[in-house]
Amino acid sequence: MSAGGANGYRTMFRTLVVRILAVSVLPLLVIASANFVLFLSLNRSVVIDGHSSLLRYHRESIEAFLASLTAEVATLAHQYTLAELEGGDLERVFEVIQREASVYTDVGIIGSDGEHLKYVGPYNLAGRNYRSTEWFAQVVEKGVYVSDVFMGFRGVPHFVIAVKRQEGDGFWILRATVNTDYFSKLVDAARLGRTGETFIVNRQGLYQTRTHFAGNLLEPSGYPDLEPHDGIRVRRLEVGSKGYFYTTTWLAAPRWLLISRQEVSDAYSPLRRAIVVGILMSAAGVVGAGILAVVVARSQVRRIKRADREKEALTARLVATGKTAAVGEMSAGLAHEINNPLATIDTLQTWIRDLAGTAPIAEDDRAEILDSAGKIGEQVERCKAITQGLLKFARRVETRPAEVQLNEVLRELATILRARARVEGVELVTELAPLPAMLASTTHLQQVFVNLVNNAVDAVAGKPDGRVEIRSRLDGGTIRVDVVDNGAGIPPENLSSIFLPFFTTKPVGQGTGLGLAICHGLVQELGGAIEVSSTVGEGTTFTVTLPPAPAGAQPQGGTP
Amino acid sequence: MSGFAVLLVDDEVAFTAILAKVLRRRGIDVEVYNRGDGVLDRVRRGSVDVAILDVKMPGTSGLELLAEIKRHAPGTEVILMTGHLSLDDEADGLAAGAFAYLLKPHPIDDLVARVEAAAAAARNRASRVAGPGPGGRDAEPPEGSH
Repeated sequence: MSAGGANGYRTMFRTLVVRILAVSVLPLLVIASANFVLFLSLNRSVVIDGHSSLLRYHRESIEAFLASLTAEVATLAHQYTLAELEGGDLERVFEVIQREASVYTDVGIIGSDGEHLKYVGPYNLAGRNYRSTEWFAQVVEKGVYVSDVFMGFRGVPHFVIAVKRQEGDGFWILRATVNTDYFSKLVDAARLGRTGETFIVNRQGLYQTRTHFAGNLLEPSGYPDLEPHDGIRVRRLEVGSKGYFYTTTWLAAPRWLLISRQEVSDAYSPLRRAIVVGILMSAAGVVGAGILAVVVARSQVRRIKRADREKEALTARLVATGKTAAVGEMSAGLAHEINNPLATIDTLQTWIRDLAGTAPIAEDDRAEILDSAGKIGEQVERCKAITQGLLKFARRVETRPAEVQLNEVLRELATILRARARVEGVELVTELAPLPAMLASTTHLQQVFVNLVNNAVDAVAGKPDGRVEIRSRLDGGTIRVDVVDNGAGIPPENLSSIFLPFFTTKPVGQGTGLGLAICHGLVQELGGAIEVSSTVGEGTTFTVTLPPAPAGAQPQGGTP
Repeated sequence: MSGFAVLLVDDEVAFTAILAKVLRRRGIDVEVYNRGDGVLDRVRRGSVDVAILDVKMPGTSGLELLAEIKRHAPGTEVILMTGHLSLDDEADGLAAGAFAYLLKPHPIDDLVARVEAAAAAARNRASRVAGPGPGGRDAEPPEGSH
């Protein structure tokens, strides 16, 4: 046979698994490797681009924040007179600007001579003179000034926004101290990953905001590149044993350097995670492909096995069919040849009886003649049954096929045959599952199943628990009808010839041996098949498989 | 006698000889032909009520003869009787206007009944149809049975 037995199927299975694996896993591995390489090359630029664009937006927001604070202080300075502020409005102004958040630490007014005229805030700074301080000189010169962070009189790092207000011949200065913690938090809002932080250093490289890891306020950062530049710079620096990405950009005013830094390993951790996930997914893919290969190969081999078996069965059936057809053709000629002399004999028999009725014959002889003529007639009837069966077998063409509900045919036929079965002491039961309509001649179907059921009843007739079942069901789109009896069974040597014409085990005169041959021919005509399985001592099952009607016929309701 | 004319056409000489005797004894006057030749001439001469035709005969077959009879003498009924059950032949025969299609051997009593019925149908038709039609197509369809 095509696969060469169990060994052949095993080899086929192995070959299939290897091929399916090759086809599915190789492309998977190629794609995974290509992705990996591409990912590595892309990732560094993705990290840098990410840091750069984040810092760009962050710089803009910090600049806007500082600009808004400056504008706010300037507006206040020009809204009030020195007298108003000294008279008590400064407290109110401080309340107003603190309303939203604790952006400012304190606010104060300094006269043109550097004297601290008025102060609202937590420190005791009243009466200090700022004439000699850096920021005082700058604000007197520029009108508006944002200082670097410095210690000042209070001894705490801070920076101030100062605005000079011209009033009459002189001037005074409104100075607000920005809350260092608030500003530090704002700057560090743009942090990345686990080790990322953002802070500011001034032109001298001193920390202007608090940091988590880098260093304290006003300490030197040691950052090497303090020359102002345009745009964003990214560089990798080794600090201690660790590598860091430093992304930097200069603020417009004040000239501070905004730095965002992150450990290199931390920056690459999403990449590492992605690689791990990628490897895991590829591994899962390989395992999946392996499982798939086994499953597909197994089902394919199973399908091939089944196809092989079906082919074998089909071949066997074809051989049987060929035999049956040859015998059928012969039968037709035979029947015709026999029918003609039979008709003559029958007519002669009639003539003898006619004559015996009138001719002068001894009364005893007349009875003999009539009796003999009667017996000739009986034998003619027997021959006629055979030749008519033969002709039907040879010419299976009958009425046109129509849509038939097989269950109805079976139900009707069971009703009719049950009477005969009861006489024989046989229980005839039906078990009919819903079936689709089929295209067939009802007469053909009746002929097939009457034959099978009658045979089954014959097989169990007289048995104490004789039972015949007619079971119908839909099996994978095919209609199957089993006619089951619990009779003596058919010996294996008879099973192969059971569908051949003239094969009978019944006593001479009781069966023509054509019933099953006719069934076989009719079922084939309907596009189906008939099979028999039998166990001696247990019973016999004839299984008829028939195709349903090709159009979308509705299933009929079956009753058990 | 019966008063109607019946032709028996079959190549089996022994069969026609004895069937003719049996039918005559039952009051049916039978003329026997063992070939198809001459049958048509006889039918065309008129007064044949029923023709019993074998289907398979040397020379003109029963079906050919049936067609000719229906064309030239539509008033004659035809019973086909054959040893060969062919559903095609049966369908063709009945379609061509045969009165019946019988399988040999057919019970004598039933054959007699059918011949009488066919003769009655032929007489009935003859009395209703004025003159022979062009091909018997205007005749009523035969009461086919088998």
